[in-house]
Amino acid sequence: MSIPKLEFPPFHLPAEAEALRAEVRSFLKETLPKVKSEDRFASWNTFSPEFSKALGKKGWIGITWPKQYGGSERSFLDRYVITEELLGNSAPAGAHWVADRQSGPLLLRFGNEEQRQAILPRITKGECYFSIGMSEPDSGSDLASVRTRAEAVPGGFRVNGTKVWTSGAHRNNYCIALVRTSGQHGDRHKGLSQLLVDLKTPGVTIRPIINLAGRHDWNEVTFTDAFIPESCLIGNEGDGWLQVTSELAFERSGPERFMQNFYILRELVRVLGRQPAKRASSILGRLVARLWTLRQMSVAVAGMMQGGKSPAIEAALVKDLGTIYQQDLPEIARAIAESDATTEEDLADFLDVAQYATMMAPSYTIQGGTTQVLRGIVARGLGLR
Amino acid sequence: MDRETRDMLLETADRFFTERCGRAVVNEVEKGVWPADLWKEIEEMGLPLIAVPEDKNGVGGTLADMLALLRLAGSHAVPVPLAETALGNLLIAAAGSEPKPGPATLALGNLTVSGGRLNGKIDRVPFASVAERFVTVVGNTLAVVSAASAKVDGQPSHAGEPYGTVTFDNAAAEFSGASPVSADRAFELAAVMRAMQMAGAADKVLATAVEYSKQRVQFGRPISTFQAIQHMLAELASYVAATIASAEAAARDADEGGLVDGGRFSIAAAKSQASDFAQRIAGISHQSMGAMGFTHEHILHHYTRRLWVWRRDYGSETFWGDKIGAAYAKAGPEALWASLSASKYAA
Repeated sequence: MSIPKLEFPPFHLPAEAEALRAEVRSFLKETLPKVKSEDRFASWNTFSPEFSKALGKKGWIGITWPKQYGGSERSFLDRYVITEELLGNSAPAGAHWVADRQSGPLLLRFGNEEQRQAILPRITKGECYFSIGMSEPDSGSDLASVRTRAEAVPGGFRVNGTKVWTSGAHRNNYCIALVRTSGQHGDRHKGLSQLLVDLKTPGVTIRPIINLAGRHDWNEVTFTDAFIPESCLIGNEGDGWLQVTSELAFERSGPERFMQNFYILRELVRVLGRQPAKRASSILGRLVARLWTLRQMSVAVAGMMQGGKSPAIEAALVKDLGTIYQQDLPEIARAIAESDATTEEDLADFLDVAQYATMMAPSYTIQGGTTQVLRGIVARGLGLR
Repeated sequence: MDRETRDMLLETADRFFTERCGRAVVNEVEKGVWPADLWKEIEEMGLPLIAVPEDKNGVGGTLADMLALLRLAGSHAVPVPLAETALGNLLIAAAGSEPKPGPATLALGNLTVSGGRLNGKIDRVPFASVAERFVTVVGNTLAVVSAASAKVDGQPSHAGEPYGTVTFDNAAAEFSGASPVSADRAFELAAVMRAMQMAGAADKVLATAVEYSKQRVQFGRPISTFQAIQHMLAELASYVAATIASAEAAARDADEGGLVDGGRFSIAAAKSQASDFAQRIAGISHQSMGAMGFTHEHILHHYTRRLWVWRRDYGSETFWGDKIGAAYAKAGPEALWASLSASKYAA
């Protein structure tokens, strides 16, 4: 039968990466006790410039980038290990996360020299933060339908339109905005470009969008005749679609897709005590086994990417499985905690934490490509469409 | 064997299984017919001796080579004890003996051995009714018992394979010697063997369901063009991918870490994972194929029933989950990430 084989060739992270892991671990051991516990629970959604600067000082942001831009020219796998250590230890890594993962690499690949020199070294120092300006009120999963318009004017563009779900725009420095520079709304991915937008630009208004948990992560970013200089166009005019699709690949198979609420598993181990009954230990073990599997898959994808392949379907499968695991985790955890916690007091605290995790869980299967978009990608890979 | 040799062997075996191990053969075994010719050909190809060194007249492959072959066998529902015999032969050879021909199986469980004689009873021994000998590890002893010295009470598995209860009543071993592995380790090796067979079966289930969706026409179009079906099959693919990825990682770790204790945690996690998702894989594939896939006529059940049976063999998700959960609870919350990222019980 002729369907593409799903293979996740087992991959070992190289010795240099494992050596780096030990360094990162000991740095975190020193740094993290100073961080508030609720900030640690939110991990890569917690904005802590102080932490990001400390990490930048170690050279661990933009570690793969050329030295001339502040990087260390280390491998993508070194970055992978840093990422998973930040998540595994629930570090408040939210401030620099998007800049390190996708905005920096985007500028490196498509940006002009002026943009690279002005911005990349600041990202690596942990002092320059980015938002993603893709979604709009009428463009979510259907990204090619964006309406924000950038009209050519002398020296640059006049931008009008609205971006939504713009995480961190209220405290970040820049946003990379996907805009229509030519053609009409119906032209789909033709005529789209990306602009580097200083979020303090006159005509750019930022308003909070509060999520159901009462957190202010998201914003609505409105452009009203905002002037963006020509030097802020990223790459060639009209290449926006190509750029965003390559950015999304960076976004999908990383450990943040299955370790975002890792603290629930750790706290579950705490409340179950050192000798849980068999029912509880077997359910805990099954959860650990699922997480271990996701890590094997994600590392395998990292290995394939390092080997020059572009495993888009495999990456989509990791995000699909990983985000659903993260939704199952608090539900399964609260059930066994309630039956098997060692003390009433620990249980009450844990159930609060688990409830918070449950409230955050719907976002996992929406951000970075919904489950349904991912399944469309996988179905295409299976030859069904 | 090197990668190229292994690929060639797998290609040859794939062609052979495709030709000689079709629906009819699998169904006949279910009726209690032993496919003597098929077994003979499998032996002629040397497959049961894949992980036996050349100086013991084997093929000279590694544990990893054997597991790769068994994943392939799992994707063909090969209805003979190739897996059990190959692992048994590996252990016999590692104990310094030369394996004999004929189908064998593993009798792993609560037995006692004293003065070369075995006592005890084990339920659900795969292929118990057709095996010519039983391989077991009791304490530090590896023993091989001829079927003539054992009592077998045949109870076919729900997949129609000739499982059964084996009783040793002061049974004389035809070979006994110092075991190369502990009894627990023998069970772990059997678990990674089943996990790889499950990976093969899972892969075949996905291929079968995808192919069917392209052929089956309803409302004037192939059902593969309906988004509802596309999303079901994409979800199915994610569970199959998890099964394959975990089994392959465990196979690698078992091989690289050595026969005595390589990949202990990875094996536990992989068998837990494979068993955990077996129902999801079977469930979605059946739903996507409707009544057709529920018939005896169709081959889908050759694979889904094996997944259901195999998830119980050599430790279910509850068994291995408990091993992992108990060890991780004992090590405490601060050891969790260090252990998981090192693929170990406690790091």
